[in-house]
Amino acid sequence: MNPDRLPDSVAGVMGRLVDASAGERLIVSVAALLTAVLLGGVVTLVAGMFAECSALFCYNPLAVYRYLFLAPLFDSFVLQQTLKNSALLLFTGLAVAVSFRAGLFNIGTQGQLVLGALAAALAAIRVGPAAPEGAIGGVLIAGVAMVAGAVVGGLYAAIPGALKAYADANEVITTIMLNFIASDVAFFLVSAYFQKPDSGSVETRDVPAAARFGPELALLLAVVLVLLMTYVLWGTAFGYDLRTAGIQPDAADYAGVDAKRMVVTSMTLSGAIGGLGGAVWVLMSVGRWVNGVPSLGFDGITVSVLASNNPLGVLFAGPLFGSMQAGSLSIDFQLGVPRQLVGVIRGLVILLVAMPEFFRTLGVRWGMGGDR
Amino acid sequence: MTAPAVDLRQITKQFPGVLANDEVDLTVDRGSVHALLGENGAGKTTLMNVLYGLYKPTSGTVVVDGQERTFDSPRDAIDAGVGMIHQHFMLVEPMTVTQNIVLGNEPRKWGGLAVDREQAREAVAELADRYGFDVDPTATVADLSVGEQQRIEILKALYRGADVLILDEPTAVLTPQEVEELFEVFDELTEAGKTIIFISHKLSEVTAAADEVTVLRDGKNVGTVDTDDVDDTELAELMVGREVLFDTEKSPVDAGAVGLAARDLVVEDDRGVRAVDGVDLEVAEGEVFGVAGVDGNGQSELVEALTGLRTPSSGRVALGGTDVTDESRRQRIEDGMAYVPEDRQARGLVMSYDLTENGLLGSQRDPQFADAGRIRWDDAETHAEEIVAEYDVRPADAGAEARSLSGGNQQKFIVGREFAREPEAVVASHPTRGVDVGSVEFIHDRLLDLREQGAAVLLVSSKLDEVRSLSDRLGVMHDGELIDVVDPTEVTEEQLGLLMAGERPPDVPRAAVRAGGDA
Repeated sequence: MNPDRLPDSVAGVMGRLVDASAGERLIVSVAALLTAVLLGGVVTLVAGMFAECSALFCYNPLAVYRYLFLAPLFDSFVLQQTLKNSALLLFTGLAVAVSFRAGLFNIGTQGQLVLGALAAALAAIRVGPAAPEGAIGGVLIAGVAMVAGAVVGGLYAAIPGALKAYADANEVITTIMLNFIASDVAFFLVSAYFQKPDSGSVETRDVPAAARFGPELALLLAVVLVLLMTYVLWGTAFGYDLRTAGIQPDAADYAGVDAKRMVVTSMTLSGAIGGLGGAVWVLMSVGRWVNGVPSLGFDGITVSVLASNNPLGVLFAGPLFGSMQAGSLSIDFQLGVPRQLVGVIRGLVILLVAMPEFFRTLGVRWGMGGDR
Repeated sequence: MTAPAVDLRQITKQFPGVLANDEVDLTVDRGSVHALLGENGAGKTTLMNVLYGLYKPTSGTVVVDGQERTFDSPRDAIDAGVGMIHQHFMLVEPMTVTQNIVLGNEPRKWGGLAVDREQAREAVAELADRYGFDVDPTATVADLSVGEQQRIEILKALYRGADVLILDEPTAVLTPQEVEELFEVFDELTEAGKTIIFISHKLSEVTAAADEVTVLRDGKNVGTVDTDDVDDTELAELMVGREVLFDTEKSPVDAGAVGLAARDLVVEDDRGVRAVDGVDLEVAEGEVFGVAGVDGNGQSELVEALTGLRTPSSGRVALGGTDVTDESRRQRIEDGMAYVPEDRQARGLVMSYDLTENGLLGSQRDPQFADAGRIRWDDAETHAEEIVAEYDVRPADAGAEARSLSGGNQQKFIVGREFAREPEAVVASHPTRGVDVGSVEFIHDRLLDLREQGAAVLLVSSKLDEVRSLSDRLGVMHDGELIDVVDPTEVTEEQLGLLMAGERPPDVPRAAVRAGGDA
């Protein structure tokens, strides 16, 4: 695509987006959110005309939005679900954001999370009997499990990193393929060696109860990790190297960054965060590894794009996405509005909020705006 | 007396934080060549973008051919007979000359269903003929030289009915020969009644090719003069607002040991072709070693091998007497090598970083700015501010994104950053390319300061007067080989020209080796 051949109006808008200040970008995002809400309302009304009930409009958009955005405030189940989703999406959104910052499209967070989760579950089950009783033992087991998750997730991401650096294999393709491999390997390992006895589904035994924790602690961990990564990216020489390699690889070479090693390192870092997310999923949400891990890694891509790959933005995008996800479940239960319709509304929100940032990123890449 | 071809009245263009044009008047007579001269960031390109409809002026009026106009887009400008040839060509390389020229305005046949190739070819041939252009309408653009491609751009504008042609720094990409050909094209065009406006910051070109010249400084028109009534020195003063010394004072320096050396260096380019073919050179501490040559004769690859960006296929590189052939780029930076790269926008700067971040490029792990990997941003900002102040980078704001600076100011910042390393060896590739007269002088002086401080300086430049006035010894590269090392004060321009063409004229004054020690 040659940006010089864009119509002037499109190029103008993109240039304007590139030049927009942080405040203007926030206003654009809020306006996009409101537009999405408005459009979603219309869609809800129209869909309601075709559903079967006594009124003309079967679905009330206001009720839908009340659930979608405010349900955590009055429904404790939804609140719990929102906190859990948010914490997990913070991990995966951050994992994706770190790789995108390094100019790598790590689509493999899902696979890294699946294997990280399995490693965490197995480590917790293994360490459990040896650990002391009580809280100290719980912290110890959880710690070991999370380290195991991060290490395995990181190593699994190092594979596509090394393939890209030393064999010039596109990381989008390899990470997608490795996602399938991760699921199948995990399935095989569990069903062949680590199967919970007398269980109908493919799952491991439960991790020790002492090692489990609630969503509040998980959220705290996630927020600390986000802040830490923000500092690493913008406050350290390593972060400077990583960002430079991501934006302008030639300039990174010039500045003495070993580009190949940086690819492997940043993929490993991204994978470790994803694997940590997997460990948290095991310890917080399910208490064991169970086949059919939710698509947290893929949702992390959405979260990261929504946050324009900024870790601090993930702090907002993660919970927004997490609460909409939790809310859509209860809308189905409570209002009888089909989940698919809620999915449409969610899609609208993401599409409209992400698009200005998407075009801005493209504009930056094509060197638009800032002309003199 | 007919109306002038272009009459810009009181044009003001305000960008956020920058007043690019400040009530500029510009009148260009029909059938004349008008030059727009000014330092980098003086507002030349902005003014022309206003005339071409890319920018709307904040205030002021655009009058073309006696009629007041408002251009919403370049399309409106083209309809009014104004065409612009940008510095970077907008041609489709795999397509033929004819296809490129008629693109978007193809003659049709079969009721508009198909392109009438025959008619298009005839129209292009007729157009080229009328203006005396020697082009083959069936040639593929990718096969043409840069100068020929530029002529295709001009033909494209003419085909769309342009009467006024704006050229943005048209000579920046051309060889001296092609520049002369371009100026002949100017003559043909003005004879046919076309009007030409070209942007430049090269004084000699302006006086050679233009009838009138308008000088812009800090966004203001500081004078329009007839080129017959003015000389280079007066123009330079107008541009920078003070007197410029053209002769660089070079004090004698005793050369020390070998600071930078290449031994039997062989380097391949990206396609695996041998670009540097057995080069031996030694640059002494306190010496400027110039490398002259037509671009593309291996200079880029030589520089990349010396600085650690490209692995040579054989031969050694030494820095300060130590063999660094197997050392990484990182290690060479830490050993005290400064490098002003040829491609400033891809390598020298990260375009979306601000100047504070760019000031760190290469020094991000230097203890001066970082403790154990943690960057001290306050120190980095102070550093950037010092470079900005010393090298007069505009805007004088360490928080400005590199992308928002004009090319010359970007270059000044890079040079400032690299020279601030207090290097033992400097590799400077075209350090003044695209930089205005006042800053060229400043950069030259700093380069010579480094020489006096005992740095070994390798200077690659395609500007002959630059390498001749700064170098202690001058090597000429041709086809990957360093074919001779001459005395820059004794050698004549003819001899240099022949050497650059790969010939070996007799009686060339050889330069004495200056280095004291062994390499």
